[in-house]
Amino acid sequence: MTESLPLALSLLYQLGATASFLFLAAVGLIIILGMMNIINLAHGELMMMGAYVATITHHAGLPFPIAVIVSFFFVAAFGAVLELVIVRRFYGRELGALVVTWGISLVLGQGALLFFGPFMPSIKIPGGSFSYGVFSYSVYWLILMLACALLVLALWIVYSRTTYGLQAKATMQNAEMAKSLGVPTSRIYTLTFSFGAGLAGLSGALLAPTATIAPFMGQQFVAPAFITVVVGGATNVIGGAIGSSVLLAAVKTPIGMALGAFSGSVALLVAALFIIRIMPNGISAQLQKYLDRRAQGGWR
Amino acid sequence: MSESKDKKKTDIEDSADTANAQDRASSLGPKIKRRTFIQSSGAAAVALAAPMVVPGLKVARAAGDPVKIGHIEDLSGNLAVYGVQKYHAAQLAVKEINEGKTLKGGPVGSGGLGSMAKFAVAPPVMGAGDKDLKYVNDGGALTGAGMAFVEDDDVLVDSGESGLLGREVELIGPDGQSNNNIWQQLTRRLIQEDKVDCLVAGFTSAEREAIRPIVDQHKQLYIYTNQYEGGVADSNTFCTGAIVEQQVIPVVDYMIQKFGPRVYTIAADYNFGQLTAAWTKAFAPLVGGEIIEEEFVPLSVSDFTTSIARVQAAKPDWVFTLLVGSNQSNYYPQAAAAGLEYPMASTVNMAQGYEHRRFKPPSLNRMYNCVNYIEEIPTARNRAFVKRWYEMFPNDPYIGQMAQNTYFSIHLYALAARLAGTTDQEVVKKALESGLSIEAPEGAVFLEPSTHHCSHYIRLATADANHNVSFVREWPSIQPWWLQRVGVNLVKHKEYKQYIPGEDPFFKMFAK
Repeated sequence: MTESLPLALSLLYQLGATASFLFLAAVGLIIILGMMNIINLAHGELMMMGAYVATITHHAGLPFPIAVIVSFFFVAAFGAVLELVIVRRFYGRELGALVVTWGISLVLGQGALLFFGPFMPSIKIPGGSFSYGVFSYSVYWLILMLACALLVLALWIVYSRTTYGLQAKATMQNAEMAKSLGVPTSRIYTLTFSFGAGLAGLSGALLAPTATIAPFMGQQFVAPAFITVVVGGATNVIGGAIGSSVLLAAVKTPIGMALGAFSGSVALLVAALFIIRIMPNGISAQLQKYLDRRAQGGWR
Repeated sequence: MSESKDKKKTDIEDSADTANAQDRASSLGPKIKRRTFIQSSGAAAVALAAPMVVPGLKVARAAGDPVKIGHIEDLSGNLAVYGVQKYHAAQLAVKEINEGKTLKGGPVGSGGLGSMAKFAVAPPVMGAGDKDLKYVNDGGALTGAGMAFVEDDDVLVDSGESGLLGREVELIGPDGQSNNNIWQQLTRRLIQEDKVDCLVAGFTSAEREAIRPIVDQHKQLYIYTNQYEGGVADSNTFCTGAIVEQQVIPVVDYMIQKFGPRVYTIAADYNFGQLTAAWTKAFAPLVGGEIIEEEFVPLSVSDFTTSIARVQAAKPDWVFTLLVGSNQSNYYPQAAAAGLEYPMASTVNMAQGYEHRRFKPPSLNRMYNCVNYIEEIPTARNRAFVKRWYEMFPNDPYIGQMAQNTYFSIHLYALAARLAGTTDQEVVKKALESGLSIEAPEGAVFLEPSTHHCSHYIRLATADANHNVSFVREWPSIQPWWLQRVGVNLVKHKEYKQYIPGEDPFFKMFAK
């Protein structure tokens, strides 16, 4: 009986860690796939780039938090160039964008292998650990959970409190109309893609200490990222991503703890399958529907 | 100038070779037959024009016609960290053969010469040297005395010719891309189009099992250089890496004595991890151990929070980690960050993926691994090998166990081909079955003829809190004995299967 409180706390911590992992893997893709509807298969490589920039600048002497911010701006700048040179030719052609971003991912992965070799020494995980009962906790994962909360807040402010956010939402809903109302849609596209890429770089940098710094490290994030974004749905991409990462983690954690990592992974996939089957437009659409119904139900 | 398969035959061929040639001819389509015919007639025309080519005699092919070594490893993808090392090892070995060098060795059976000598109290400790091996300490003054093994300063000697049998050796090394389907395509291409004389390939057991049926279909001479779970009894395959009897059993025995009997196994979820874990489970009762929990992790998993909590909930005495690939390497820094401080043992980490160099200390603190090779081995012959390697590849991060295996395996092939006097694959296979031993950087390696597996010089390496490596036990020659136990004799009976420990009632006898 004395064991049950530490176990409950450990499960809560695991849930938080798994949800943050899913959310961080997905955060750049939320913008690029969720808002812009570009199936960005180079998402993992953008995260890889963020991890490399953070690792290189950190080894060069920058403190880790600054290295993370540098990665955001570096990958955002790279994203802007990518949008201007290649991606903008593929708006409205989803399959074309899929193939071209896949090509970009191959070039980036192999390029990293050629320039930096198969491995790079990792960053030591910041923060120590503490234990309660038989379980111990990594301080850095707690920091990551906090970072996710801050990211959510930042995204919410950007997309509901700034002119750019308003213009971006207008552009993504109806580019023609937005343009006729004087929104510089071309610049909005570049900015949005660049912002999404920067976020991928940022999350790659944040996850870098927990990962192996290798040219193809990005691929481990691609499947979780797509699952999280698709399960979340497009109605409210940020809310959807939070909902789906927490829900998927809530399925994966207890099953993984009871039966092992393999069962945990299977449970996550099965849960994703069920959610997409029951809610074809994702969690956010369901949430929106619920809120609308409540509003109509005369609460006000 | 090309010759047909028949023209390549030497006077030592036997009926098996003829049967083989017929099999090959019948398994290929009519198109190939036509090509063979054209080649034959071409060769006949050449024979008429140049009287020194006399069919039926042992004829060295022209210098322009190279000996082809096919080599597939993963130069990109999840497994590139190991594949690039192995490819460089193959390049180094081929370069040395072409420059007229060979590793010492011959059909003299196993073992080296021992002599009485003095030794230090403790083994030397090796630190992370930058492209060089660095002693941290030499283990103290010479105090003990006993049997020691004569150590040659260098084992690379002149072969008396440049190349192999008067021909240049060519390495054809495509990229397997960490993708089993591509491995199969490349294997077909190397065998059917490039017609390689020897195939050296394979990192994971999944890759090996994907291509082995193709190898057997074409009776291709195939060398698998990885350490693996053991049990492959295949007439065409020679396994030069260490196997469970040589790695798992010594380390499990040591760990149980030193840390206790309760073992938690966390393994990669594919045939290598599953079978090695099965071996550990089968063997642990013999040395008083008990596997309290087994967890198999898919290769794509990279977040180990839950696995770490499970280990803590089970409270083992030590953890046996059989994790493979760059994703799974994440376990070590994550476990260290979460304060998981159990001693660990492994057969794959450190010696292959140099986790002790890649991750910041103390992620690999108290990691124990029985290896047949690790870059830090402090012998003179290994230091010479390490020096040669970094002269050719100054930017490489590490020389792993499998890289060394590939290196000596290609030299071993050259040794066998010289003994055979030909590159005819059936003859070379027989030469490889003649009790060959070779002086590899690790020490003497003996290719046991009846099972096509190698005895190895095994060292129990461990990393301390600063990731310095020391060797706590050494076994100069551990035999691969299990396939002999189950009655495999490939010299007498051809086989093409992989045995698993469940087939041997020996282990069930000891299970609780």
